[in-house]
Amino acid sequence: MRRLIPIAATLFSLAVVFPIFYTISASFFPYTDFTAIPARLLPSVPTLDNYARAFRESNLLVFLSNSLYSALAGTVLRMTISILGAYAFTFFTFRGKNLLFVLIVATMLLPPDALILENYTTIRSLRLTDTYLGIISTTLLAPTHLFMLRQYFKTVSQEYREAAIIEGCSDSRFLTTLLIPISKAVIITLAIHSFSTIFNDYLWPLLVTNREMMRTVQVGLTMLGFSENLDYGPQFAAITVLMTPILITFIALHNPIQDSVSTRFTGR
Amino acid sequence: MKSAYPKQIKPYLLIAPALLLAVLFSYRPFILTLINSLHTVSLAGKRLSFIGLENYTRLFVNPSFLASLSNTLRFTLFFVPTNVVICLAAALLSNRPGRLATLNQIFFFLPMAVGLSSSMMIIKMMFNPSIGIINQLLGFDIQWFNNRHAAMTLLVIAGVGLDIGLDFLLLSAALRNVPSDLLEVAKIEGASGVQTFRYLQAPLIGSTLLFVVVTNIKDAMLISSPVMILTEGGPFRSTQTLVYQMYLEGFKSGNYAIGSAIATVVFLLTFTVLLLLLRLERRRVYYQ
Repeated sequence: MRRLIPIAATLFSLAVVFPIFYTISASFFPYTDFTAIPARLLPSVPTLDNYARAFRESNLLVFLSNSLYSALAGTVLRMTISILGAYAFTFFTFRGKNLLFVLIVATMLLPPDALILENYTTIRSLRLTDTYLGIISTTLLAPTHLFMLRQYFKTVSQEYREAAIIEGCSDSRFLTTLLIPISKAVIITLAIHSFSTIFNDYLWPLLVTNREMMRTVQVGLTMLGFSENLDYGPQFAAITVLMTPILITFIALHNPIQDSVSTRFTGR
Repeated sequence: MKSAYPKQIKPYLLIAPALLLAVLFSYRPFILTLINSLHTVSLAGKRLSFIGLENYTRLFVNPSFLASLSNTLRFTLFFVPTNVVICLAAALLSNRPGRLATLNQIFFFLPMAVGLSSSMMIIKMMFNPSIGIINQLLGFDIQWFNNRHAAMTLLVIAGVGLDIGLDFLLLSAALRNVPSDLLEVAKIEGASGVQTFRYLQAPLIGSTLLFVVVTNIKDAMLISSPVMILTEGGPFRSTQTLVYQMYLEGFKSGNYAIGSAIATVVFLLTFTVLLLLLRLERRRVYYQ
């Protein structure tokens, strides 16, 4: 029985990873391989045609750069807002502190997808449709990040900051030269999470972008115009272009990824 | 006294952006949604007249809404157990030492690296009834997009594909935290694999398992993007879900008020689930 476990696990994991394998393989298929009988798993004659067409006949690169730009800008803003907020909630005492903290963190209870009708109206009346700011607007507040950063900042002694302030160190200097460097690990983890969340967002960017040139890659990928005509090669190539860097990162970093999950969710 | 003033204003300035965003993109739209659901609203989104609960009474006799509600609940009912069993099986099977096991683990969480719209497009092409690899390879002739049951199955498959990576990681991390000396004792005492799981591993990963189940329920109730990309609610509304219908009413049909009423129903459903989650979270903190 126990001998069968590795075999079962391997077959099972191959089934799970099959779509990824097939996507990469099919991105090298010549057109006729898709209709070949029996079905092909590997290209008969590998071709780079699909890649050339994916780039030439669609705005994939524009979509990709829109996504990278908004995810990068969004991450920077989101981390800044979270860090400043967490800093105030950790090191200051002020009226209404607990209430305001609960108010911010409780936004977790309101699923963004159910708020799209009103948020779209807001963005439209602010004239932010088809802008990067419009795309990232609803993702800028990350209550979970603010919460986790505060938990982490709390482990830094209050006396540290008091001593620094008495010595004439400003808040901004304390933040940039001490607090942020010692919280580097948690900040990087949260930043990566932010980046992938904003980069992978689908519904909101679909709503706030009408001009093709403003589309993010997640939205653009579904409208390339290849798969509708059963012209699968370029579509698979576009997907492969998009996922390969992330796949490589995941495989290379599989140890830290697995560890970060175990510490984040179990607290050990 | 000189330093008292700046000390007072500074924390408010620091939290101002977060607070502003919370009000602008969470509380204000939430309250406006509730208010709009009690009014008639023009095509341009302007509130016309107060009509009390009429939108809701209309909603609950509307066949399209009843279909969405039942589809969403049915999807949740099919998806959550399927996903949990698959992810738990993956975590248990790959929870062993050795290089092959590491490879298995990487394969199990790799789907996480594929974004939502990429995975949906992959599924859309692989399950195409005429030239998709799935029907060809397995010798099926299933009309994945034109048959009610097949379309719902497809949506469940899509959901598992989206969630397996993270849920596998969570469960496998929990399993790895089961102390190895306990497992050693169980082995020496001759416990079977089933017994080891039932009496040793299951209780120790219980809180993670509950977390996965509750977040899965929440995600399932909010499902919309996969529907939008894969089936567009079809065939015959059989995969039309609540959030997808809300999107259709609000953005395609101009029924703003009805859309708001559906959003309110979604809030109620997810509140219930999230409050449950918060309770579980608190209990988990207590355990540590």
